[in-house]
Amino acid sequence: MKKKICMLGAFAVGKTSLVQQYVNSIFSDKYHTTVGVKIEKTTVVMDDTNVDLIIWDLHGEDEFQHVRLSYLKGSSGCIYVADGTREKTLATALSLRKIAQNTIGKLPFILMINKSDIKDQWEIDDETIDDLKNQGISLIITSAKTGDEVEQAFKILTQKMMEK
Amino acid sequence: MTSKAPDIQMLENLKDLLLKTEQNQIQSIEKRLDDPMVRAIEISDALPDAISLSIRQGDKLPRVIQPVIDDSIKVSVQNNPKAIADAIFPALGPAIRKAITSTIMGMIQSLNQVLNHSFSFNGLKWRFEALKTGKSFAEVVLLNTLVFQVEQIVLIHKKTGLVLEHVVTKDAIIQDPDLVSGMLSAIQDFVNDSFTTSTDEDLETLRIGSDRTVWIEKGEHAILATVLRGTPPLELRVQYQELIEHIHLKSGAALEQFDGDSSPFAIFRESLKDGLKSKVKIEQKKISPLLWVFLLFILFTSSYFGFTLYQKHKIWKGYLSRISSEKGLIVLSAKKENKTYHISGLLDPLANNPETLLTDVEKSNLNLKFALTPYHSLDPKFIIQRAKNRLKPPSTITLSFTAGTIHAIGKANQKWIKKFKDQSIMLPGIDSYNIKKIQNPNQTHLESILKDLRNIRIYFKNNRSSLVPDQEDVLLDVLEKIKKIQILQSDTSSPVQIVIFGHTDSSGSERLNLKLSRDRAENIFNYLLVNGINPTFITISGIGTQLPLTKEETLDDKKFNRAISFKTFYYHTTTGGSQ
Repeated sequence: MKKKICMLGAFAVGKTSLVQQYVNSIFSDKYHTTVGVKIEKTTVVMDDTNVDLIIWDLHGEDEFQHVRLSYLKGSSGCIYVADGTREKTLATALSLRKIAQNTIGKLPFILMINKSDIKDQWEIDDETIDDLKNQGISLIITSAKTGDEVEQAFKILTQKMMEK
Repeated sequence: MTSKAPDIQMLENLKDLLLKTEQNQIQSIEKRLDDPMVRAIEISDALPDAISLSIRQGDKLPRVIQPVIDDSIKVSVQNNPKAIADAIFPALGPAIRKAITSTIMGMIQSLNQVLNHSFSFNGLKWRFEALKTGKSFAEVVLLNTLVFQVEQIVLIHKKTGLVLEHVVTKDAIIQDPDLVSGMLSAIQDFVNDSFTTSTDEDLETLRIGSDRTVWIEKGEHAILATVLRGTPPLELRVQYQELIEHIHLKSGAALEQFDGDSSPFAIFRESLKDGLKSKVKIEQKKISPLLWVFLLFILFTSSYFGFTLYQKHKIWKGYLSRISSEKGLIVLSAKKENKTYHISGLLDPLANNPETLLTDVEKSNLNLKFALTPYHSLDPKFIIQRAKNRLKPPSTITLSFTAGTIHAIGKANQKWIKKFKDQSIMLPGIDSYNIKKIQNPNQTHLESILKDLRNIRIYFKNNRSSLVPDQEDVLLDVLEKIKKIQILQSDTSSPVQIVIFGHTDSSGSERLNLKLSRDRAENIFNYLLVNGINPTFITISGIGTQLPLTKEETLDDKKFNRAISFKTFYYHTTTGGSQ
C-alpha cells in the first residue's frame, strides 16, 4: 500500500529536519528552492500491512514563496508543521490547511508543533493548543532535535488515512 | 323524450359539479398535448435531466443519437465549414503540431543516420540489403545502427505520482522508484505550472546528458515513464503510447479509483517487461576486409620505405667511399640530418667537384648539401696541374714532379724557360726546378748556323781587299746566315758575339799584312752593316799571318790564307755552358 502525503508549513519551521531521520531521500535540499518540493519516503507498519508514505515535502510558505497547489493533488493525507516558538507559524499552518482543503477537499491530517525541546521559548500557549485539540485536530508536539513523537505522528496519520 | 332532456341536463350539471376541475385539467392537458410549442418548452426543461439519467443507465443514448450527430455534423460542414473549423481549431492545432514535430524528428533522425552511413562499407552492404528486401535504404540504416537500451519502465499514477508498477533491466542501477516517480510527477507539475498554458503541452521527453532519455507517455490517469540509453528508434515510442492506451482500456476504472493499493496493476508487469527492449551492437570479432587492406597497405608501405631507406643508405655509403678516395678532396665529416646528407671538408679548386661525381641514381636518391673550403692539395697531380695552369707550357714540354722539384722535359723557347724558372718555385709544394732537359729549338738552330758560319771562308784577291770573283755568292750566304743569327739570338736571349778575322798569306811584310787583313775584315763588316746587320754583336780583327787558315806548303796553298774567317762566342745559358 502506498500513500502520497504532503507536508506543509511556514518557512523554517524545521519540516525537513523533523522527518529526516525517519525518511529516505535521494534528493538534496536544493530541490526545495528550485522545484519547490522534495520527495521523501518512509514505511509505517500498520496491522501487518506495510504502508509506504511518499512524502511531498513542500517548500516552506512565506511572503515570497507560495506553495504550488498542483503538488497537493492526489494526496491521501497532510502534515502541517508549525514552530512553537513563532506563533505566526501556527496561523500559517492553519491557513495552509484551509487552502489545501479548498484545493483537494478534506483529507486526514495532523498538525505538528515543533521545537518541544525549547518549550520555555514558546509563543504558543497551552490554551491555544487545547482549543485546537477540542476542535478535533490531531495535534502532536514534536522535537526535530530529539525525534520525540515524530514516528508516532506518522503512525497516527497513517491510521487516519486507512480508516477513511 | 322531453322527460329525458331535463335528466340529461341534470347529469350534465352534476358532471360539471363533480368533474369541473378534472375537466379543466383534461382540457389543459389536451391543450398541452396539442400545442407543440408548449411541449417544446416542457421538454427543454426535462431534457438535460433526462440525458443525465440516460448516461447513468448505460450507453444507449450515445448509440441512438450518434447517427443524428454524424448527420448534423455533415450538414453543418456542408452549410458552414468555417464554423466547424473555428470550433475544432484549438484542438486540432496542437494535435497537428505534435504529429508534424514527431514526423520531422523521425525524418531528421533517419536523415542523420543515412548521411552518416551513405559512403561507408556498411553503407554499400545495406544498400544491397535494401535492394534485396525491398525496404527503403533509410529504414535499413536505422535498423542496423540504432543502439539503445530501455533501462526501466515505470507506470505512475498521474494524480498521486505513486508507482503502480515498475520493471527494470538486470544491469541498470536504479534509485527508489517511488521517490523517482514522485519527483518526476513534481517536475511535470512544475513544468506545467511554469511553462505551459494548456494541458496538451506536457513534458514529453527528458534528456539527461547525451545518452539518457526519459520518455513520458501520458494517459488520462496514468503515465508511462521509460528510461532509455542510446538512440532508440522513434517508432518504439508509438509502442509505449499504445501500451499506456491498452492499460487504460483494461483498467481505466481501477486507475481512477486508485487509493494506494497497486496490486491490481501487477497484471501489466509482463507487458511492461516486453517493453524493456534493447538493441546492442554486436562487436564484430572478425577483422573487416577494410582493416586487412589497411594492414597490408601499412606493411607494404613500411617495407617499401624500409627498402628505400636501405637502398639510399647503400647508395650514400658507396658515394661517400668514392669521394673519400678522390684526390684533392678531404671529407672531414659526413652525416645525415633529417632527409639531407651533409658533407663538409676541403676541396682543391682543381679537384673534381663532388657534385659532378654524382651518378644519375645518386642524384635522384640523395639530397646532398656541401660545405667545402678551398685548399691546395700537395698531391703531385695537382702540383703539376697548378704549374700547367700557371706556366702554360708549350705542348712540346712535359712537366713532372718528384720530391719537391718540378722537372720540365721537351722543347721550349727561352721566354717560357725564363717564366718556368721565375714562377714555378712560387707555386705551393714546389721547392726547386729542373730545366736540364729543356731544349730550345731556336738555340739548336742558332748553334748549327753558328757552326756553319765558322766553316765559311771568303777569299780575296792577292794583296788586295777585294773578293775573288766567285766569292759574291758566299758573301750573300754569309749575309743570310748572320741575319738568321741576329733573329734567333733575340729569341734565345743568349748573347752571341761574332768576330770577323781577316787573314793574309805569308808574303809581304807583317805590318802590311796586318793592315791588309784588317781591311779585308772591315770590307765584310761594312757590307754586312750596309745590309742591315746590327753592328753591336760583330767585331773585326785583322790578324795578318797569325793563325793561318792553312799551312802554306805550296804556292797554291797561299790563296786559302787570303781570306776571312768567323769566330763565334755564344753563351749557352740553358745548359749552363758556353762556346
